[in-house]
Amino acid sequence: MKLDRDYLYQLRDYTIPQILFKQAKLLKDRVAIRKKSLGIWKTVSWAEYLGFVKHVCLGLIFLGFRRGEHVSIIMDNEPEWLFAELGAQAMGAVTLNLFTSSIAKELSVLINRFGAKAVFAQDQEQVDKLLEIREEIRDVRRVIYVDPTGMSSYDDPWLLSFKDLLELGRKMEKKEPELFEKELWKGKKDEINLMIMTSGTTGIPKLAMFKHENFTDIALKWIESVPIEAGDNWISITPPAWIVDQMWGIGVSILSGMVMNFPETHETLSEDYREIGSSLTITSSRFWEDLASKIRVRIQDSGFIKKKIYEMGLKIGGMVVDRELKREAVPVYLKIMRSIFRYILYRPLLDRIGCLHIKAAITGGHPISPDVIKFFRSIGLNLKHAYGLTEGCGVFQIQPDDEVKPETVGKPLPRTEIRISEDGEVLVKSPSLFAGYYKDEEVTKKVLENGWLHTGDAGYIDEDGHLIIIGRKEEIMRLKGGEVFSPDFIETRLKFSPYIKEAVVFGEERPYVTGLICIDFENVGNWAESRMIAYTTYADLSRHAAVEELILSEVRRINNGLPNPMRVKKIILLYKMLDPDDEELTRTGKVRRKFVYQRYIDLVESMYDGKDEIEITGRVQYRDGHVGTIITRLRILNVE
Amino acid sequence: MRAFRGEPSIFNNVKPAERQAELKVEGLTLYFGGIMALHNIDLHVTSGEFLTIIGPNGAGKTSLINCITGFYRPQKGRIIFNGEEITGLPPREITRRGIGRTFQNIELFPGMSVLSNIFLARHLYCNYNFFSACLFLPSIIREEVKHRRIVEEIIDFLEMQPIRKKLVGSLPYGLRKRVELGRALALQPKLLILDEPFAGMTLEEKEDMVRFLKEINTRWGQTIILVEHDMAVVMSISERIIALNFGEKIADGPPDLIKSHPEVIKAYLGEEAQGSFS
Repeated sequence: MKLDRDYLYQLRDYTIPQILFKQAKLLKDRVAIRKKSLGIWKTVSWAEYLGFVKHVCLGLIFLGFRRGEHVSIIMDNEPEWLFAELGAQAMGAVTLNLFTSSIAKELSVLINRFGAKAVFAQDQEQVDKLLEIREEIRDVRRVIYVDPTGMSSYDDPWLLSFKDLLELGRKMEKKEPELFEKELWKGKKDEINLMIMTSGTTGIPKLAMFKHENFTDIALKWIESVPIEAGDNWISITPPAWIVDQMWGIGVSILSGMVMNFPETHETLSEDYREIGSSLTITSSRFWEDLASKIRVRIQDSGFIKKKIYEMGLKIGGMVVDRELKREAVPVYLKIMRSIFRYILYRPLLDRIGCLHIKAAITGGHPISPDVIKFFRSIGLNLKHAYGLTEGCGVFQIQPDDEVKPETVGKPLPRTEIRISEDGEVLVKSPSLFAGYYKDEEVTKKVLENGWLHTGDAGYIDEDGHLIIIGRKEEIMRLKGGEVFSPDFIETRLKFSPYIKEAVVFGEERPYVTGLICIDFENVGNWAESRMIAYTTYADLSRHAAVEELILSEVRRINNGLPNPMRVKKIILLYKMLDPDDEELTRTGKVRRKFVYQRYIDLVESMYDGKDEIEITGRVQYRDGHVGTIITRLRILNVE
Repeated sequence: MRAFRGEPSIFNNVKPAERQAELKVEGLTLYFGGIMALHNIDLHVTSGEFLTIIGPNGAGKTSLINCITGFYRPQKGRIIFNGEEITGLPPREITRRGIGRTFQNIELFPGMSVLSNIFLARHLYCNYNFFSACLFLPSIIREEVKHRRIVEEIIDFLEMQPIRKKLVGSLPYGLRKRVELGRALALQPKLLILDEPFAGMTLEEKEDMVRFLKEINTRWGQTIILVEHDMAVVMSISERIIALNFGEKIADGPPDLIKSHPEVIKAYLGEEAQGSFS
């Protein structure tokens, strides 16, 4: 069912909870939310959805929370996340989602900065963290936990179960049936309803503030540019603390009537993903890169016939994609071949990865290797690149269906303007831009100039009007000889090797480019096992001479596709994976280059002073916060 | 959303009276030819208790369990469960009276899925016959759905969702032990007997298992007899411990007492050893 455009445009004047109220009247018993529980997909209709939101809202009022107060949510992808968030917003509270993987200290800092008065917590694990920092977060009056497993022994009036909150809401409703609507219609579309942590590639995370109208606008943009209908499926897998699921959960899904699907657990994700067969998906480039490398590895293990069919199918798909790219006519024989392979290879393969019903698969975040895009397009998946950032309320730039160019991030969505500043930075203007950073006007002024958002990315616009991103503006580097290189660009290509999980390259003001490489434990492990190479740990495997030779040959192959100054001359295989707990990656999985550089400065130096080997003492931080050390010798590998 | 969340109906909807489990063993003696496996064992388990049986290899722990669950027939002595003598009854009759168990060496069907293995334990509660099952009448579908829900609740409780449809044969050892616990729970036993459920597990798997056992015992009042080797686990989890050696009961009491009991130390560490377990 497609909703009427005029009706949708008129929704612009309302807050998100008000829109939910209207949609619940219109869509009534149609499915709004699905959650797999006890092995079965259970549904919540739009009317029930509103009911939950109403009772959360009234429950919070019953507990004495007031309009304008702040509410933190530390939850996984669960329907209760939406109930909590929209319920709080319905009574005029401002919400902030935090990562469930954050350690207690991080939570304490963020909760205090945000000034939360109530916290919604997923389960015992989160409650324990909050109890640990209770003295530091004195402003928090109530903690509401969702999953009661293991909570029976907690007897503390500070804690309240979600079930009891709903019960309080029902009680309140009986007492004052008009109260919910009275509170709901007090909301204004230009009020701040939500804050989102920006990933903080540079320093501590900032809180970006958003208004209801930002989300209505971004939702309308999507509805205008992608064929979404009510009842289409979205599967919620990215953490609610990120912009992507916020953009969908309280933006696009509410306006378009798309169904939000929640997997049973983290571990059942791939199965659940396949069962739902989502209509549209936005994931990081890493997801697609991992998927592509997994498919490749699995095919390598399969039988001769399957392998041959796969190779032929990919070749034919690739030929068609190449011709479409150059806007050449596709010969009839290729078309026929492609439709044959559609049934014997493409569709079965897409079904396996749960992508059979996808209308558009979108990758964002980090630049993705053009090879990956080509690979998925060859098997008939409409994968394309999009570009956006938290401050822009998510994605605002996407490749139109008929002009997909692998290296670009496409054209702006409606009502979005793109400009390149004099020093090469990409600037954006759109009604969905954020309202500024919370308690940080100085930075806001710098980033938001006359309504133009400074993205911090360097890029240019090609002759077709497509935007091309080269990399972060501050990360474009020069070698000693003055040649320009983009570390991102090189790393992305290195990481397309199934054997390389993470790569960080260096070379600023140096004679040549070098890199730290983390092997992919699973794939290299399988490779080693099939060659009877024995190993124990990650560190042991990455030190193995045969593995070094394997990675070197991969780097050589990738070097061939790079212009001369960008070629990696020396590498070191790191003894551990880069990890967000060690602050080497951000929580979104981006490398914090400067931090890695400073931390491994000895290794980097050793690649420029002609040594063959270096002994180092590495620091490893474990999940519980305690710190251990590793003493190891690392070899410096010459690529050429 | 999840209607019960951590509150499986097999526990939640059962009245305390239905969970009543009072086990008395009096003068139990078991020979295998000339070897005395158990000698004059007395044992008393009260409802809601968490009793652990320890002892070195060959002490007779498993023999004792096998007598209680009807796998062995003792030559002398009586076993009384909830006031009824069950000595010498076949295992299926004992199961029917409410004693469920797991096995030291995992007795699951490796070619069947986790779901089917647990489902199997529900046969006790199925009221239909072969022919109506063949016709798959609506009443039978309703019954199957009811049992499936119970099984799913157990899967959820033991956090086995990702392996629900996997074949048991393809699972690592620690998870199989968990499936066995699931199957024993699906019997809704009044008395749950666990024969070395921690053997061969990783530390993390042990921690999970301790958490599950603690919760079913303290929260839901499940009576449990645990046979275990792992001293760290035993000391952290038990309320009362019985130590066996060469078929005889050498000690009976709370963990602190057992830790410093001279007989126990002698049985575990040899004649000359001094001190106690850490």
